[in-house]
Amino acid sequence: MSNKINTIGIPTEEEIKKAQIDFSPRCTSAGRVNDKETQKMVEYILNFARKHSLFVLAYGTGCGAIEIPATMTSRYDAERFGIRGAATPRQADVLLITGYLSTKTLKRVIRVYEQMQDPKYVIAFGSCTINGGMYFDSYNTIKALDRYIPVDVYIAGCMPRPESVIKGFIKLQELIKDGNAGNGECYRDNLDWYRTNQQKIIKNWDFPDKYNW
Amino acid sequence: MEGIGFEILGALLTTILAFVVGMFFGGLNRKITARTQNRVGPPVYQNFIDLMKLQAKRTNIAHGFMGHVAPIWIIIAATTVLMFIPILHDGLWFRNLTFRGDLIFLLYMMVFGSLGMALGAGQSGNPNSAIGVSRGLSQMVGFEIPFVLALVSLMIQFQTTSIQDLMAYQHESGQWIIFANPFAFLAAILSYLGMFRYSPFDIVGAPAELASGPISEFGGKYLGTVMTGGSIFTFVKLVLMVDIFFGGAGNFGTGFWGVVAGLVELVVKTFIVYLIPVFIGLVSPRFRTEQAIRFFWKWPTVFGVIAVLWAVFL
Amino acid sequence: MNTLTIILLILTIGAAFTYFINAVNHKLTAISAFVTITIATGYFFGLAELGDQFKFALGDFSMQWGLNAFSYYFIYIVLGLSWLALLYSIAYMEGKARLGYYYGAFLLTIAGMFGVVISQDFISLFIFWEIMTWASFLLVIYNYYYNIKTEGMKYMIFSAIGAYAMLTAIVFIHHYYGTFLIGEALSKGAFSFNQHIFIPIFLLLGFGIKAAVMPFHVWAPGAYAKTPMSFTAVFSGALSKMGIFGIALVFSTYYITHNAGGFIASQILAWMGGITAVMGTIYALIQTDAKRLLAYSSVAQLGYIVVGLSTGTKLGIMAALYLAVLHAAFKGALFMVAGAVEKQAGTTDMTKISGLIKRMPWTFLVALISIITLAGVPPLGGFVGKWLIYEALITESNNYFLAIVIFFSSTAAFLYSYRFLFGLFLGQEEEDTKDVKEAPVTMLIPMLMLSFVSIITGVMPGLVFNPAAKAMNALGFADTNWDMTSLSNIWGNTTDLSLIGIFIIIVFILGFAVLTLKGRKKTKSVGTKDISSSGELWKEGENWTFQQDFFKPFQRAAAPLYKFDMDKIWSDMGNALEAFFGFFRKVYTGNGQTYAIYVIAFLAILLIFKDYIFN
Repeated sequence: MSNKINTIGIPTEEEIKKAQIDFSPRCTSAGRVNDKETQKMVEYILNFARKHSLFVLAYGTGCGAIEIPATMTSRYDAERFGIRGAATPRQADVLLITGYLSTKTLKRVIRVYEQMQDPKYVIAFGSCTINGGMYFDSYNTIKALDRYIPVDVYIAGCMPRPESVIKGFIKLQELIKDGNAGNGECYRDNLDWYRTNQQKIIKNWDFPDKYNW
Repeated sequence: MEGIGFEILGALLTTILAFVVGMFFGGLNRKITARTQNRVGPPVYQNFIDLMKLQAKRTNIAHGFMGHVAPIWIIIAATTVLMFIPILHDGLWFRNLTFRGDLIFLLYMMVFGSLGMALGAGQSGNPNSAIGVSRGLSQMVGFEIPFVLALVSLMIQFQTTSIQDLMAYQHESGQWIIFANPFAFLAAILSYLGMFRYSPFDIVGAPAELASGPISEFGGKYLGTVMTGGSIFTFVKLVLMVDIFFGGAGNFGTGFWGVVAGLVELVVKTFIVYLIPVFIGLVSPRFRTEQAIRFFWKWPTVFGVIAVLWAVFL
Repeated sequence: MNTLTIILLILTIGAAFTYFINAVNHKLTAISAFVTITIATGYFFGLAELGDQFKFALGDFSMQWGLNAFSYYFIYIVLGLSWLALLYSIAYMEGKARLGYYYGAFLLTIAGMFGVVISQDFISLFIFWEIMTWASFLLVIYNYYYNIKTEGMKYMIFSAIGAYAMLTAIVFIHHYYGTFLIGEALSKGAFSFNQHIFIPIFLLLGFGIKAAVMPFHVWAPGAYAKTPMSFTAVFSGALSKMGIFGIALVFSTYYITHNAGGFIASQILAWMGGITAVMGTIYALIQTDAKRLLAYSSVAQLGYIVVGLSTGTKLGIMAALYLAVLHAAFKGALFMVAGAVEKQAGTTDMTKISGLIKRMPWTFLVALISIITLAGVPPLGGFVGKWLIYEALITESNNYFLAIVIFFSSTAAFLYSYRFLFGLFLGQEEEDTKDVKEAPVTMLIPMLMLSFVSIITGVMPGLVFNPAAKAMNALGFADTNWDMTSLSNIWGNTTDLSLIGIFIIIVFILGFAVLTLKGRKKTKSVGTKDISSSGELWKEGENWTFQQDFFKPFQRAAAPLYKFDMDKIWSDMGNALEAFFGFFRKVYTGNGQTYAIYVIAFLAILLIFKDYIFN
């Protein structure tokens, strides 16, 4: 077996320099909490509420969604953490990207992400969101999710078992407690960068000019 | 005990009581469902955390004026009905406006909230909301018939349209009305299944089939307000049932501990009545809308008609 | 000259004047009609007093016109609603053809209605009744002037049947009781059901057809929907109340004496009213045209009024009279709303337009208030009417199952109420309605005034109760006490409306303040196209509003109820009669020799059987 990896689709160093596009992710889990001492108490209580009541949008974007029913039902019981399903993006807090994203799905995911209300969190399942995973050399899947929408927590695996999924949620809860989660405002501020990346990969771009927020 | 300030304080206390108890009942519903399904489930105060989180959303989206105002209508409906239902029997504490309205007024006020919600859902422009509203209204025609039959039979039997008189009868004669007219209770509890919108009648807000129906475009503080109104309304409906059929609460005198004991009795009784829709909801699949309407027009209506005949001839 | 005659003269001369001035200048027609009605209304409310009378003789008949409290109550509806409708017509009928014909017939109808209400003898009642019917028929066919459609024919045929039944009854009253005066006939017991039962039945037939009682309602949906909306406001608001006026008059003997024969008739009428209410409602919910929806809803609301009248108790009659005024207010406003939408947006077909709330917010406000009143939800005025009906049925007249039927109809009324609001105003905006503007001010003012009536009677129904109580007095009821702001029934339970209204307003203001001010800067209002549609975007020209088969589940569940089609029964009857008469037509062969044989055969029979015939 040869050691040569098929790197179609992954930009090389020269390509990055030539394209002059900054591929390093813009919005990571960085804090956006008020620095004033008096506000910290209020934010602390509100973050306690936010971390113990996570409404997950019922949207299975890829093959990893098969692990979600197992996590929600009796054996692994995600509801004891306050996690429950929400039907529409207006009601949801957490968007789960479960596995690979074809460009077709990416367009809908971006629209759904923009319709959610702040503070909103994204949890990315599986290796496909980190570096392309099993489909790293496919012509129509994305290779790195956080070029297109900001991500809070990655869960490695192909597919992660329910225990890993719950561990990921607990990590999200810790991030919320420290005030480091929720990249909606950062997405809004860096919209041009995100839009450039999105339009580069989505060929039939017909979004309206007005973004929700 | 007079004075407008005291009355307002009583109204506020009643609302807070209804809110707290309603939210806890919602949490208990989730806990009981979880335990029945052999899992741990969320803590019983989970609904409070959900409400706090919803109110703490940093951005909110509204779809125009009616969509903005719609959750307020639900609060208005829930609190107005709350003011007219006696919480405790003695009529001194938590009196609110109980002597100033009767059952027919309550029947119509309960619909006020759904109308407001329907208007807000309609303005959002989401077809799922409109479909949910049409199903909800159609189902309402279904379950209101046995409910009104039960109430009319009680009105005839005791020659009154006021809830106080029904409670007074139960206190004086020592017999609960559920034994005086059991068919009325059967008709009323079956129509309550439709009113609570738990399975098998939850097609109105089906999360996966209909994108949760009328509330599909509500988020953030609006969804929080809807939840609050819904909890208060749950408590109100249960107290109405307890007052009419189970003798009400507050039989321990008017001292401070008497009032506390009365409230405890009320909470216990309403919880027992609440278990009926919860348990039926746990084990039932969902009816389609026309099946639901036909269900209400069959056996519950028959029970209601028997209740009226019972009241007229017995 | 007498006040009443002057008013009638003003109206008739105004009608003729308006008709002729149309040839001179189109714009003056509307103004002259409005000025006429303003003068008539002002004159009436300023100068007419209770007890005014006017007697004159026409050949052998002595006619008498007078004003008692009962008539005065109905004149509020007739003149008040007509004044507002004519104000509305100024802008609504702008630019249409044959304006002189329209306004002339409108004023004649008003004159006819006024005459019906002030008549105190049967001959003038009949004359004015016919004037009213003919003038309104002219307006029903206004839109189809050169091609009279079936709605006009249906209306004419049913009105004719009713009118001739009424004429028969009047002639028999004169034959048996020797008088044409209504008051004298009442006191001699002409309307009692114990003797000559067909007299009140024929009178009820005549009045009931006008009040669109099942099974004679089939003319109503088409007629209400096809006439111009400014006239339909008066048509369904005031004209149908003339039928109510008559039914109340006929039943007044029964109210006082409660004799046995009358009980059966009142029960039959009550159940007919109940079935009207149910059938009208369930046919209203499946309509896609807003005008037809309102027309069927009118039929259903009249059913409630008839039920109230036929109970014959204090609360029941009060319910009927109160609902008569309220129905004129909110149904008049709703028809005006439909007319405004039709004028501004071009159509009222709910499958073609939607989402007009942003363009016509005042019209929406009027529609919202009127719909809440129609549905009977507190704190507006419709609740008082519903409360009175239920209390009358449950506490006073022991008609429990009818109460359930009425409640069913009232709950189903929520369905079409919501449908009207949703179909026209809510939902996504249609591309064609981008340039729709708000209705002109002269159309908005009457609508807003009528909604104000709905609002004020919700908190202070005593404003309507006091005149209605005087009207009931004139019919023969004993004096009753009506509180200004609270309702009470005979079992002693009260509902305090002012408190309810105040409480609701306070909670609304508090809730609105909290919800708006909290997070004000972080709330964004988005359009109706930005919906959570699973990430999909709309394409150009797509409208995702749900309008077709809006209540399909209810239709499926109540399918047996929909199989009953009164229209088909009447047309089948008509066809059968036509076949039957076709047989008789063969007698007229057109052949002179056949006619000669008829004459000779007739003479032969006369001669042969002359002993038997002339003995």
